[in-house]
Amino acid sequence: MSSTASLRALDYLEGLPGTTFTKLYQQPSTALAIFRRMLPHLAKTLVMAMLYMPSPLLASDLDAWVKPDPISLSARDKSLSVLQRLRMLEELEGGRRFQLAGSFARSLRLALTGGGEHRSFGVPCESVDEKQVGVEFLDAFARRQWEAILYYVVGSANAGLGGEVDISAGTKQLLQKGEFVSVRGRTAHITQAGFTFLLQEVNAQIWTLLIVYLEVSSDLQMDPIHVLSFLFTLGSLELGISYSTTNLTPTQHQMLEDLSDFGLVYRRASDTTRYYPTRLATTLTSDAPALPNSLTSTTTTDGDSAGGNNERGYIIVETNYRLYAYTSSPLPISILSLFCTLQTRYPNLITAKITKSSIQSAIALGISSAQIITYLTVHAHPILRQNPSAPVLPPTVVDQIRLWQIEGERMTSWQGYLIKDVGDREAYEKAVAYAEALGVLRKDFRNKGWFFVSRMDQMGSYFRNLAVKRKAQQQQGIEGGKVEKK
Amino acid sequence: MNIVDATDRTEKLDEGEAPSLLTIILDTNPHAWALLTESLSLSKAVANLLVFINAHIAINHANRIAVIASHAERAEWLFPALARSQKDSHANGVHGDGEDMEMQDGEAADSDGPSLPRDDANKYRPFAYIEHVLLSNLRRLMESTTADALSSTPATMIAGALTLALTYISKQTQALPSATTSAQFNYSDATAVAGGNEMSGDGAKSQASMGLSSRILILSVSGDLASQYIPIMNSIFACQRLTIPIDILKLAGDTVFLQQAADATGGIYMALDNNSRAGFLQYLMFAYLADQAARDHLIMPGEGEGVDFRAACFCHRRIVDIGFVCSICLSIFCEPLQDNLCLTCGSHLSMGNYGQKPVVVPKRKKKKRRALADGGADTPASDRGTPAP
Repeated sequence: MSSTASLRALDYLEGLPGTTFTKLYQQPSTALAIFRRMLPHLAKTLVMAMLYMPSPLLASDLDAWVKPDPISLSARDKSLSVLQRLRMLEELEGGRRFQLAGSFARSLRLALTGGGEHRSFGVPCESVDEKQVGVEFLDAFARRQWEAILYYVVGSANAGLGGEVDISAGTKQLLQKGEFVSVRGRTAHITQAGFTFLLQEVNAQIWTLLIVYLEVSSDLQMDPIHVLSFLFTLGSLELGISYSTTNLTPTQHQMLEDLSDFGLVYRRASDTTRYYPTRLATTLTSDAPALPNSLTSTTTTDGDSAGGNNERGYIIVETNYRLYAYTSSPLPISILSLFCTLQTRYPNLITAKITKSSIQSAIALGISSAQIITYLTVHAHPILRQNPSAPVLPPTVVDQIRLWQIEGERMTSWQGYLIKDVGDREAYEKAVAYAEALGVLRKDFRNKGWFFVSRMDQMGSYFRNLAVKRKAQQQQGIEGGKVEKK
Repeated sequence: MNIVDATDRTEKLDEGEAPSLLTIILDTNPHAWALLTESLSLSKAVANLLVFINAHIAINHANRIAVIASHAERAEWLFPALARSQKDSHANGVHGDGEDMEMQDGEAADSDGPSLPRDDANKYRPFAYIEHVLLSNLRRLMESTTADALSSTPATMIAGALTLALTYISKQTQALPSATTSAQFNYSDATAVAGGNEMSGDGAKSQASMGLSSRILILSVSGDLASQYIPIMNSIFACQRLTIPIDILKLAGDTVFLQQAADATGGIYMALDNNSRAGFLQYLMFAYLADQAARDHLIMPGEGEGVDFRAACFCHRRIVDIGFVCSICLSIFCEPLQDNLCLTCGSHLSMGNYGQKPVVVPKRKKKKRRALADGGADTPASDRGTPAP
């Protein structure tokens, strides 16, 4: 799973109120998609184990099930944390028993067994389309539409690179709303978020854009539940099959218009009752490549046999900061030009050099070193991945890129919560260890007895449970005292 | 400054788990299922199994499934379906002409496969497809079973099914290096084999380079398998080498070798009795759904139980506690060979003094003086025989 995309989606989902989740989970397709897409691996196993369990799972049983080594324990805590954030898991009796949320469990069971009358897995068209639309056509359509969006964003960085397909006004507005570009006067300028967007994988890009779409849609009187459940339905459709629009809500009809602008669905005309999901849509809830033999591979050399099954990789970075990219497509070249000094261009190859000035000018534009490194790693040529134990990129280059960024910045800021006055040393250590296991600990100030976390809800319940336990202990102590007196 | 150090260089991109291939061997021996109709009928078991299969597919979109029926006298594919043209001529799935079987994948379902299920908006299409293919194949298998064939063999074809499963797994592993580790696979082919040689100790590493992590689940109802001892053990050792765990869920009967299979390959072994058989689905979902990645974090059931390590002899397929072993090829025999020739490798074996009563050697008197001299030397000389008590 491309983690950045799912993290953003997770953050968005988490912000929704609990009732929204209950409504969302009414749809088996949504329950299945969120289960498949958002959960860590161990959490999926836990959910499946509990799905047909007649009674709630005892926390002590869970402890007995998970191996007691620290890695497994932290994996368990992380799984429980995500499950609770997505309102899939309910704690009973102050955390001593766990139970799957009713609507979620019901829908997931329905998804596994089939049946019901929810019709959430898409209604295929009864009739056969007189003009069959092939998978290649859909892929080409999706790529054209999606690259048009990317070209628009890149084009706002260096003028003259705009694509041949114009994107609709609605999409332009959406890109502005998402602050990928900012329009000053008549020309659009790329922003930092825009760079982040560009440097992601396609799948992550789609999610990033769709989340902006979700945020905007609520302003347009579109019900986010309908929007979300339609997106998850799209993820469960099959490529190359036409689906009927008859059971869609008005909101979803409106969405079809926008989604075909993005290239997620294909419709011959805007008034037909037939739509085809493209690969961009059907891979929404999986991590398969969204654009097979995408922009880069069309230009890789045929003799490059290693590139055969890894279409994404085309960049070779050497320890001497030289960079070779097997591409002739303007889109990756212009992305590379954001942080490299281009040197030579051959029919199928460009050479470039990573220099201090090129990196720092990129950083001045708002690109972070982590983004550059991620981009280079994601698109690394298979030859760099030859040795599974060695890092993909030369460590010296990676470190140097980071150092160049750090030269300019001395401070990082996070939003979060400072926790003070935890109690004695032991309680403090335990709380810090718990926060670390959850992955929310940012910094601990050991000698002051403070620590700083990025997320509070779970820590809150942790402290509440602790307080309850302490109270119970105190009461027991009092009762015990009474007995002794008698 | 301390952000930039060597430890922070690890790749965090490959967070997704490797896809896993689950090969289920369903024992469809009609004799055994007939005995179980009271507590768990075959149709009920298959319905539960389908939910389990769907759950496996649901966990990761790249997860794969294969189901093999181990029938009375043959093993047959239930899913994926054999291509239509070859089905009838090669009903047992074994090919003499060296041609490859054409499998139809769940994704590539098209018109020449078994007739597609009716489009149903209430069911996820891959689930519906698997269910349809599996059920129609099972139905065909049952219809094609004749009474004659059943009366001749009361056993089941586990060995054949295991072999089919292994061929399928090896084919899938080679054909489908996963997207995340594809590049590694091409280059590290040799290391993958080398890792496999080191057995389970290096299991995690060889799995990582294989990309696709596979496991086998046997749902067994039949009892006696001693007649297939050798092929079963060979399959087990192949699995052990490839670090493919064999999970066993025993619904009825009692077989020695399946327990050994689970033990040798690091799989799960559980046996259900009349009471626990009703919870078949919960057993599947709780204990057997976790794949290798999840098993790293969980304590799996059945660990630490005593395993019956008995073997079957090569001459009469009897299960023996103590037997005779050929010193050349390690074949096991339940009784002394007649003309001292090993039945497997033909080596001439000598029984030595077998069958003779041991000659009691009279105690020899110790010579005190020599013992004293030894004691003085502190370390007794090794060439002297062990002193009698």
